[in-house]
Amino acid sequence: MNLNKVLILLILIISFIWLVVPFTMAILWSLVDPSEPWTVDKIFPPVMSFYRWNYMWENSNLKEALLNSYILAPTTALFCLILSIPTSYAFGRLNFYGKEIAKLLTLLPIVLPPFVTSIYFSSILFEIGFQYWKFGNVLIAHVVLFIPFSIRIMTVCFEQVKQDVIDAARDLSASKIEVFKTAYFPSLKSGVFASILIVFILSIEEFAIAFIIGAPDFITIPTILYSALGQDFVRPNAAVISLILVFPNVILMIFLERVLRSANPALISGK
Amino acid sequence: MKALNYLKIIALLLPGFGLILFFLGMILYVAIFQSFGLFNLSGEDNFTLQYWEKLFNRKVFYRSVNYSLYVGVISSIISVALAYPIALWLRKPFYGSIIINSILKAPLLVHGLVAAFLFVNLVAYHGIINQIFIFIGLWDEPIRMQNDKNAIGVLILQVWKNLPFALLILLGSIQSIGDDVIDAARDLGANSFARLKKIIAPLTISSMQAALIIIFIGALADFSFQSIAGPTNKYSLSQLMLYYKNNGRWHEAAGVGVTIMIISFLGAIFISYLTKFIFFGRKINEFK
Repeated sequence: MNLNKVLILLILIISFIWLVVPFTMAILWSLVDPSEPWTVDKIFPPVMSFYRWNYMWENSNLKEALLNSYILAPTTALFCLILSIPTSYAFGRLNFYGKEIAKLLTLLPIVLPPFVTSIYFSSILFEIGFQYWKFGNVLIAHVVLFIPFSIRIMTVCFEQVKQDVIDAARDLSASKIEVFKTAYFPSLKSGVFASILIVFILSIEEFAIAFIIGAPDFITIPTILYSALGQDFVRPNAAVISLILVFPNVILMIFLERVLRSANPALISGK
Repeated sequence: MKALNYLKIIALLLPGFGLILFFLGMILYVAIFQSFGLFNLSGEDNFTLQYWEKLFNRKVFYRSVNYSLYVGVISSIISVALAYPIALWLRKPFYGSIIINSILKAPLLVHGLVAAFLFVNLVAYHGIINQIFIFIGLWDEPIRMQNDKNAIGVLILQVWKNLPFALLILLGSIQSIGDDVIDAARDLGANSFARLKKIIAPLTISSMQAALIIIFIGALADFSFQSIAGPTNKYSLSQLMLYYKNNGRWHEAAGVGVTIMIISFLGAIFISYLTKFIFFGRKINEFK
């Protein structure tokens, strides 16, 4: 057996411990039936059912949290995309003094710790008496926090638009709409998808802002997961919420990779 | 015409860049001035140093700084140190490399809170580790491993979450190094370690710095891992900030917030210079 095969085997074993075991545990815990608890002396739950899934769906804030998260995330994604386009066009197509510094400063929300951002954002909202419209506050904060990703993605797309294609279209007397369709649209299409998906995933996952600015009135999936892991800790219930948070992300990320046809999402996500 | 062009550029920058600058500027402004007694949410504004004095006189503040630094430094170093050899191994595609790459990237898809829950399931009193060891008869009764006092659990979680991220950043950079450069070093007698230290690390130093800085800042300001899997007798800086804020002590919370920002900023500068010094030594000016 050569070294490569040994390393592959090692990674697969580590990944089994790293990924498969924890997720299997979470799935098993979510299926524990309350009629007989899963005690330390038993390697598998003695009785399994979907009771916890039904229970969480009927008796917790899960429906409200899902609704909030799945309204907030696409709205954030849409706002980020719309607001990022003019800036991305300026970064990608125009030359001006201070462009590089401006590009660097757009990354500030990514570098600044989210807990600091959210606490002082809530302080500003208090100061201006705007703290009661929770959805709006969380939405604004999410847009500010995630717009750097949209700007970065769309800037790369605008940079990739070929000037000779624009010139050729213009030489052939194409209207502005036709120039956009032939020269800009093919480059921007994947960027629009990528921007919406990445911001959507980041917004669904975001915890600090939803917790500090939104809670307790405006709950999202991560905030109820935090409660389920802390004050309301019941392991099978927490397992249900964890799995609900993870599965859509995995599907969306696989879809994202297909859309981008890229092996390196870091280049796009700007991380 | 020039003025019109500038107006056009400003108008284009306002919705995106302007929004960021406005809110981030406000956040920095409020955090800094609130730590000096201004922006008082429950009384008169009064410029004072008393909140900083209070913080500096509290042991809990120093303990939090030390603890957050410990988590930030160790997590970033381990994540990048483990990511380098893996990125080198995956530099050239081989049979199975795409699957390995995807498996290693998988934790990126898992939310930090979910990761903390999964980890707690393993090490909890009724967790799988205790179950297995009792089942095979190695332990008579469960051992308490959760919330360990040295924050090993938090460090494992940080590495679990950040290693794939470091790998993503480093892999692209390492893959862009041409074979001719590495072959030339090999021809000149450089062994694996020399090639890593003298060729690969200097050529990927920007990615290494980016990975170290972003992981350091994230781990320094960690809240979720610490509050679920961290030691119960220690506060991270984010936890301390939230504790003050929840008790209406906004000025002290601001002091802690500013401390996080200062440490993040100084840490980023320190990491940049240290990495340059390690890999370029006296030639640091040439690098500039």
